[in-house]
Formats: sequence, structure tokens, C-alpha cells
Amino acid sequence: MNPDGSPLSIPPGPATSVILGRIERELRDMWSAQLAPGEAPRSRACTMNLVVAASSRDVADRYTAVVDEVTASIPSRAIIVALEPDAPTRALEGSASAVCVPGESGVVCSERVGLYASGSVCARVVSTVEALLVAEIPTTLVWLGRVHTDDDVFTSLASSAQRVVLDTEYTSLASLVQLAKWSREEEGRPALADLAWTRLATWQELCARFFDEGRTREHARAITRVTVRQASDSGARLGSETALLLGWLATRLGWRATRMGGALRLKREDGRDVVLSVGAVAKPEGVAPGALASVEIEATTGGTSMVGTIVRDLASGADVEGKTPDADVVNWSLDLTGQPRQSRRVRLRANKGARVLERTLHRPAHDAALVESVRFAENFFEDGVVIR
Amino acid sequence: MDATNPLRRGLVEDRTGDPCAVIIFGASGDLTKRKLMPGLYNLALSRALPGGFAVVGVARRQQSDEIFRQAMREGVGKFSRRKILDEAVWSDFERGVSYVSGTFEDPKTYTDLAKHLDALEQERGIGKNRLFYLAVSPNDFGTITRHLKEANLVKPPSRDTTEWTRVVFEKPFGHDLASARALNDTIASVFDESQVFRIDHYLGKETVQNLLVFRFANSLFEPVWNREHVDHVQITVAEEIGVEGRGKFYEQTGVTRDIVENHLMQLLCLTAMEPPISLAADSVRDEKVKVLRSLRAMDRSKVPENVIRGQYGRGFVRGDDVPAYREEPDVAPDSRIETYVAMRVFVDNWRWGGVPFYVRAGKRMARRVTEVAIQFKKVPHGLFRAPDGGIRPNVLAMRIQPDEGIALRFISKEPGQQTILRDVAMDFRYGTAFGSNTPEAYERLLLDAMRGEATLFTRRDEVEAQWEYIDHVFDAWANEASTPPPAYASGSWGPEQADDLLAHDGRRWRRP
Repeated sequence: MNPDGSPLSIPPGPATSVILGRIERELRDMWSAQLAPGEAPRSRACTMNLVVAASSRDVADRYTAVVDEVTASIPSRAIIVALEPDAPTRALEGSASAVCVPGESGVVCSERVGLYASGSVCARVVSTVEALLVAEIPTTLVWLGRVHTDDDVFTSLASSAQRVVLDTEYTSLASLVQLAKWSREEEGRPALADLAWTRLATWQELCARFFDEGRTREHARAITRVTVRQASDSGARLGSETALLLGWLATRLGWRATRMGGALRLKREDGRDVVLSVGAVAKPEGVAPGALASVEIEATTGGTSMVGTIVRDLASGADVEGKTPDADVVNWSLDLTGQPRQSRRVRLRANKGARVLERTLHRPAHDAALVESVRFAENFFEDGVVIR
Repeated sequence: MDATNPLRRGLVEDRTGDPCAVIIFGASGDLTKRKLMPGLYNLALSRALPGGFAVVGVARRQQSDEIFRQAMREGVGKFSRRKILDEAVWSDFERGVSYVSGTFEDPKTYTDLAKHLDALEQERGIGKNRLFYLAVSPNDFGTITRHLKEANLVKPPSRDTTEWTRVVFEKPFGHDLASARALNDTIASVFDESQVFRIDHYLGKETVQNLLVFRFANSLFEPVWNREHVDHVQITVAEEIGVEGRGKFYEQTGVTRDIVENHLMQLLCLTAMEPPISLAADSVRDEKVKVLRSLRAMDRSKVPENVIRGQYGRGFVRGDDVPAYREEPDVAPDSRIETYVAMRVFVDNWRWGGVPFYVRAGKRMARRVTEVAIQFKKVPHGLFRAPDGGIRPNVLAMRIQPDEGIALRFISKEPGQQTILRDVAMDFRYGTAFGSNTPEAYERLLLDAMRGEATLFTRRDEVEAQWEYIDHVFDAWANEASTPPPAYASGSWGPEQADDLLAHDGRRWRRP
């Protein structure tokens, strides 16, 4: 910051190293300053570099609150970069600050660096970020926008990270598909993560539950129909969550995608068809477009049929303290021929931006199931499945 | 479960228990209210309970399902790490909670229970998997297990079915080696060992589990984790609290039975054991048993020089006046029960030959702390002049509670023209790095029992080996003159004799 509290900035032209030097000095001074009388001692903690790249200053500003919440539980050096390459001006601004929360024994602080680049300066940002990374700890890049793997800024930032995080629910599945292709082209490229995939985790677990018992286990290989509903208008495209869930089911169960007369069909390992039905339900306010609303799995084997159903009370999370509209209650039930119905009501995890990013960062970096599911989901993407 | 359900392959979401009924004997007791129900409720919040699930409380007290549920709700509200903010989850959980009243000696209790479980199967689709949790006095273990068998509530494990019956026993598991063996024999007449889950809740603590991760997932420490580099090991389990109204219980147990025989021995095993060939339950437990069998047995004459006991007197803890142990309710005014014990233990094997493990546990100590500290040997040659008499050795301290974490003490140069050496510490804290809302030990252990994962439970031979070692100490104490244990002031670090134990070896206790 400048003495008057405004961010450091340089007019178009001068080297970015001037800004970088100031930020580095600010970061140093932050921890060497004398405590004011009565001020609690602060500990700096850093377990990862969290680089967030936004497509505009506005998006970066809005996401700063999410980052601050995440670093409260995962102490990090957060570097939030706003990139506006098409802006008419050519400028770089930067600032550094400590983000502190009370810890178990004193105040624990993360560091937050903000960078705003416009015009051709955007190309220089990568080297600025590189210089600001703390050594010997993992780096995660959160990319808030569509991915273009031919964009040098993206590939350079991604190459310095061990993991790239997207949110395909708000960008597109195409970005994830592109990123997955880019990632597997060369060894050593970062792992990929998707907040939509993280949100899906509870759904996956609930689906797996249908086949946990000895008496239903064989039904997993005998699924005849899958019905999925997503919260969206009729005619909308297949949502990321829906596509990834279907990709996940297919890859776990060894299904193949085939095309008969251009239409996508799913075949089980034994060659039989799985009927796929995807539909829409009305999207209440506050629920993300394309969010999963229900899943129904039907299977028949050995003379017994099972129907497993997961139905979400859309927007029911809004009534609960500390939850968000998408941390809904879901009703899980299992009906098996000749058996009493099993049912449970469980709540989806809070999917507020910070919580879902935090959970994503806690997951293992390499997730083979995501990679495989994305590959399969390409079928839906290529097929342009439309919801009716 | 994971091996055969294809949808479980590579799943990252929380683990889930098998569909089952959890039947808690001693359901009106404190443990159920303080630990078990909050643990189960937190599992429900974490979506870790299976689709078919029920909890059945069994106790003497006559009460309806409604009253029992209400009592459990109060317990969860008071003791759960996460409160009941979410009525949707609580009401779903509560629907599966019911109660059967009866005495443990009465066969009718078990026939009633069997009928109740059959009805639940029809109503809730819980299948025939049953987890019996004996949150009762050890005196009731034998009675309950026998009646369970007689009521046909125990199914032996079989390859022909995935249905299971398991039983969880709370500590103390026996009073000495003979009683532990007798108890094990009774249990073995009803259950196969694979069905038995003996809880030591210390093993459910994240930081205790991390001992294995720390040792065997880092290549840095294991090469120096042996007699070549380690001078000695100190393990401390210190509590600030006294007997807290449990004078009657404590008069029959003492700190050696309450803490040393189980928690402390387990910490010692995890610190000293060899790498297991896998994390499978028996692989880990085999290695722990090897440690226990390597402990140098103390004959009667050696106990006084290797084991120090103490009993807390009056003093100040956190600035408050506290009474002496003998002034506590239900404690005999001439009680000889030990509230503190310190021991010098040797693990006579290739890795640890000659390295003393100093272990201590006590009540009314200066502060609450549980830690394992590895003190490394001094550098072989004093290259630097250290004005205070020498360079202090490196210490690696693994803090189990509170402020869970790992600290490495090493020597650094003070900035300046002179070479002045100073102790510094690299300090890692779990709460800072990972947040502090970690599952309670009981959550982890209940879920493991529902999934049949026995790694964090103690096996029969483990329990008996623990008692076998500790019995030598009791044997010596039983034959000592009737002198009371030395008193130590509450709020101190134990009796002076404990300091002498280490001073004799040229060492000192840490002040953790």
C-alpha cells in the first residue's frame, strides 16, 4: 500500500519489478513491525500458495472474501490476480496485506497479495506471481473463468502449480474437458480439480450406498435405467454435475457409450442397454443452474428388483443457520423386492464458495475417478445432450 | 465392503458404516450420553451412517422410547462438538433410536431385545448386522455376553453370509492379567476374536494415529529412530483434574490401571514398533505385540528402582486451591492408591537396546498435556563453545493434547559477530494447518467398528501382554511394606522421587 492506503501502482511502461519489490518489502515489513501496545502477537502460517486468477477486477474483488475465508482454515499465501488483457490501459497494481484470525494460541495470519493487470502487462504477471510463490510448499491455481489451453498466461500459471481448480458449474464442462486433455498430454502437468465434482461427492456416496449390502451388491452390474433430474429450464444443456455423475457411474460400472443413428446409448459390460433419462425440474431462486435435483437407479437381477432414489429438497438449506441454499436435505431411499424400504434424510454439505473450495483443497490432488469421468463425460458434451 | 461395491472404488467422500443396529448396554449411563450418542449424531451429520440404521439402548431403568430420545437429545446438546442446529438431520437420526429396559441378569431382557430387533428389521430395513456396545461395568461383561449367546443374538462369522455380529468392550478390560484372561476366555466362548473390538479411545485420536503417519510416511525420521541416535524417550500423560467425584472407582483402579496399562502402553507401542507390512489390523497389532513382548520384565526387587508412585496432596492447580486425594469423596483417609506413576522401561530389541523409555502419568499435575518426546543424542564433539555448559540435544516432541502438533528443537546461531548458540523450535500445529474441527475419537472408533476395521482396537494378546508387564509392578507393590505412596503437591510435576529416577541416569524430565 502507499502511505495513504491506496494500492501500489505504476503508470504504463515501467518494469513490473518495481511493483514486485514493493510487494516483497510490504510482506517483509508486515512481520517485522513492532506490536502496538495491547496488540496481540501474530503468527504467520503458510501451508500452500493459493493463486486465484480472475477475468476481471470485479470478479477478483468478489472472490477475495472467499479466499479470506479459506485461508482462515488453510493458512496460505494467497495471490489474487485480476487479468484484463483486453482493457485499453496498460497497468499493473499490487498490494499485500495480512489476513488474521484468532487461533488456538494467539492470532494466526495468512498473507494476501492482490495484483491487477491490464493490457499487455498481463503477459508479465506470470513472472511476478512466480517470484511471489513461497518455496517448498504446494501451489494451487484457482482459475475463475473459461480455460483456453492455448493461452500462455494460463499455461504458464498452471505449470507452476500442482493442481488447477475450476468450477464448471459456472464456466463450462468444455473447460474441464480441455484442461483434462492438456493435463494428460505431458507428464508432470498439474492435476485437475473441479468444484462441481467436489459438490458431487455426497451424491456419489449416496449412490454407492445402494450397493453396499450383500443382497444388493450384484445389482450394481445389473442396472437397467438411470433417471436424473437437474434444476434448469427445459431445453437447457446438460449441467456439469449431471454429466460428471453419469460419467462417474459409467466408468465405475464399465459402461460403454455407443451411438446408434447418432443418438447416445449406454451399454453395460454384458452388452445390455442402460436406459438413460435426463430431465429438468423448476429451479428455485438461489439454486445454481444445472444443480442435481434427483437420481433414480433401477436394477434387476436374480429375480429381485431394486430402485434406489435420491431426491433433493431444493433450496431447503436456506432455512438452516450456517447453511447455504444448496446445502439441501436429500431423501435417500432403497426399495428391494420383498424387503422393507430403507430411507434416510441427510443434508448435503454446505456449498458456499469458501466451503467447497476448502473441501477441494483437502482432497487428494490426483483424482483418477475425476479424470476418467471427464473423459466419459466428453461423450455427453460431444453429443450436445439437451434436457427435455 | 469397498472391495466388492464398484461404486466405492476411488470414492473420496467420507466412509460409511455397514447397515446395522447398534445396541448399547448401559444406555442410561454417562458414556452413552457424553460420548456415544454425540459420536453417532456427528456421524449422521457427516453422512457416515448407513441407509439402514438403528440405535437401541438397553438399561435397567424403565423408560419409554420418547423419554430416552429426549435424554439423548439433551446429551447431544450438551456434549456434542456440533450442536443440534439441524432439525432435519436430528429428527431422521432420532427416528432410529429406541429403548429396551431390563436387567442384564434377566433372560427376558434378551428375548425382548431379540423381538425388538426383529421388528426393527421389518420397519427400518437394518438387516441382521448387529453391533453390541457394552458401556457397562466390566463385572457385567461376562453376564451380558453369555445371555446374548443364549438368546441366539450372536452369529458366528461365516464365509456364507455377509451378516455380522460384533461386540465392543469399554475399558478397563480386566483388573490384572488373571482377570483379563478370564474375561477373554468368557468372551471367546461366545465370540470369535474377529468379532471383538476392545476400545482404547486414545487410539481414535487423530494425533495418535498420526504417530504412524509421521514415522512411516516421512523418510527423514525413521533412519534416526533407533538406539544409534536416540538418547531416551519420554512419554507423559498428565492431567490437571483430580478424581472428579469418581473416588470409588479410583480407589479400585489407580493411575496405573486407568492410564498406564492401556493408553500409555499403546503410545509406547506406536513409538517403538517396527514398520508393519501393511495397515491391516493384524499387521499393525502384531508389531505392537512384539514391542510388548520385548519389554524388560521387572522382578520384584527391581520395581522400586524403576517405578515411582505418588499420591496428590493439597495444592494449587491453575491458581485454585484443590484438596488432597485422601480428602476427596469416597476415598479412604489412609488410601495407598497411586495417582501418579513414573517408570523407567526398556524395550529389549535390536532397535531400542539400552534406550530408556521414561513414562509418567498423573492427576493434578501442573498442566494437562499428553506427549511423546524423542530426545536425540548429543553431537559427538563440541565444536562450538557453549557458555552454559554444553549444547542441548535435539528433541522431537509429538503433542497429543492439547495444541496437537509436532515440535523439533534444534540449535541455531544468534545473529551477530560472536558465535552464540540458541535453542529454537520448528513448531507445527494441527489446529493451525488443518483447522480444529476434527472428529472425536469415539466417532472414528464407532465407524470403524461398524465397518469391521479393527486396527485401532486392541487384540486379546495385546491386552494380556500389557497386563503381564504391569502385573510385575502390582506384584512388587503388594509385597511392599505398607508405606503410602509419596505425596506430591497438586499442581506440581509429581514427587521428588520421580525426578531422582531420571537424575540417577543423568537426565531430567521435560516441562512440556
